[in-house]
Amino acid sequence: MSKDGTILAQKIRKSFGPKTVLKDINLDIASGEICCIIGPSGSGKSTILRCINGLETVDSGVLKVNGEDFGYYETAHAYHAHSPKKLAEQRTRVGMVFQSFNLFPNMTALENVMSGPVLVKGADKKQAAKRAQELLASVGLAGFGDYYPAQLSGGQQQRVAIARSLAMDPEIMLFDEPTSALDPEKVGEVLAVMKDLAKKGMTMVVVTHEMGFAREVADSLIFMDDGYVVERGDAREVLSNPQEPRTQAFLQQVL
Amino acid sequence: MDSALKPRIRRRSTFEYVAWVLSTLIGLGILISVSTNPNFKWGVVARYFTHETIIRGLMLTIFLTLASMALGTLLGLGLAIMRSSHVKPISIAANIYITLFRGTPVLVQLIFWFNISALYPNLTIGIPFTNIGTAIDTNALMAPITAALVGLTLNEAAYMAEIIRGGFSSVGKGQIEAADSLGMSAGTRMRKVIIPQAMPSIIPATGNQVIGMFKGTSLVSVLGVAELLQSAQLIYARTYETIPLLLVASLWYLVMTLLLSYPQSKLEQKYSRATSRLPRKAKKVVLTEPEGTLR
Repeated sequence: MSKDGTILAQKIRKSFGPKTVLKDINLDIASGEICCIIGPSGSGKSTILRCINGLETVDSGVLKVNGEDFGYYETAHAYHAHSPKKLAEQRTRVGMVFQSFNLFPNMTALENVMSGPVLVKGADKKQAAKRAQELLASVGLAGFGDYYPAQLSGGQQQRVAIARSLAMDPEIMLFDEPTSALDPEKVGEVLAVMKDLAKKGMTMVVVTHEMGFAREVADSLIFMDDGYVVERGDAREVLSNPQEPRTQAFLQQVL
Repeated sequence: MDSALKPRIRRRSTFEYVAWVLSTLIGLGILISVSTNPNFKWGVVARYFTHETIIRGLMLTIFLTLASMALGTLLGLGLAIMRSSHVKPISIAANIYITLFRGTPVLVQLIFWFNISALYPNLTIGIPFTNIGTAIDTNALMAPITAALVGLTLNEAAYMAEIIRGGFSSVGKGQIEAADSLGMSAGTRMRKVIIPQAMPSIIPATGNQVIGMFKGTSLVSVLGVAELLQSAQLIYARTYETIPLLLVASLWYLVMTLLLSYPQSKLEQKYSRATSRLPRKAKKVVLTEPEGTLR
């Protein structure tokens, strides 16, 4: 069976200097699964997401993305880092959406969406532009192609960023608090795009504070605290009937 | 009169009035002194202002400025990229270069390059460990103008490297992460993401360097290169009209600096607007809600 779109993490550890942010992370995300990660700030939820995309490297443990060891290859005694080229290739299969959008301000919305296919995959510019137009339309931004990021609202920028990631045809999409930097009235438009994406069977890992989104869309929910996965299970199950006292306390505060 | 319509008058302090009177008096005094003191010899200044020797010197100054800025910027870009490399020996080598060339006076560097033949009398170009190649007399190679160009370029490269590196580091970490997460190679990331965004901070600083370099070229007069200052010196060595000819050179430096500062301020304006550029096609677009077709 193809392992495309799966994420497997076993005993992941990660430290920044003396501070251990991931202590013993185990994840098993199936293809097409929508997984929301919640937890207090500093719990390591963003860090694990960044590890899955190679923005951070793990110190130890097993990390398989799309069924492949991510960023490293395994030998009898150690994991060896991949060449930058191989790492880049693995990254193209994982899309990342950032809290602060991180669109390229020197490029128009269309050029942003085209940047991956053209600059990384060497795609034909005309075809890439056509596909980028379609992607912009699919996130409700038809006709915005010529606008620079600075001329778009936060919600629009984030939707362009989602389109930019989708242009690489990733098997997995990671969302790092995608609506945290948005005006409350713009949150809905980004969540609508994400819901749409979920329906298409994309594997999605979403670090979020939007409990409504988690309840409505997510298959599974992970609650993290202090570098550990405290509780994981069916999203609606965990939200309505949390088992662990730490999860109960957190949900009481945010719901 | 209706109180709501009365103008509001700015308050002027006594100090402001005093400052106006004093500075006008001092200014007038200087003007009178400069125009009536016969030793300024304004007639001589006017006569030599467009003298052939002076104009040729000015052209050489302009050439030295443009050439050493262009070469220095290229070399500086290379150094900046080396300096931000993760490969330690590369980054350290660039750092040492920058430290050496920024840490010693450019005048000393110029004289050093002029006298390099004392260290290496012959320069051999060829394949190492074979007899193939030709030897060049360093003394002949390092003509004053070559030494000037080499000295100014190598010095400028160190300064440009720091300006360009500063530009690189002004690009947010998020931009680099976005490029990385798309799988961009380091080279593409540099060309398409980092350099375009670093430009707004690099260009104005480079403009300043051009203006600085224009005046800095006067240092090469010590090597006997007949640039603007040296041309003036050549004339007054003959006519003993030192002050008028220094005035001629100074006026040219001033004119050129003012000419250069206009495009410089335009560039600054252009790049300060870079983040809020208007759409290429100014068209009215109605906000649309996301619709349900994702491909």
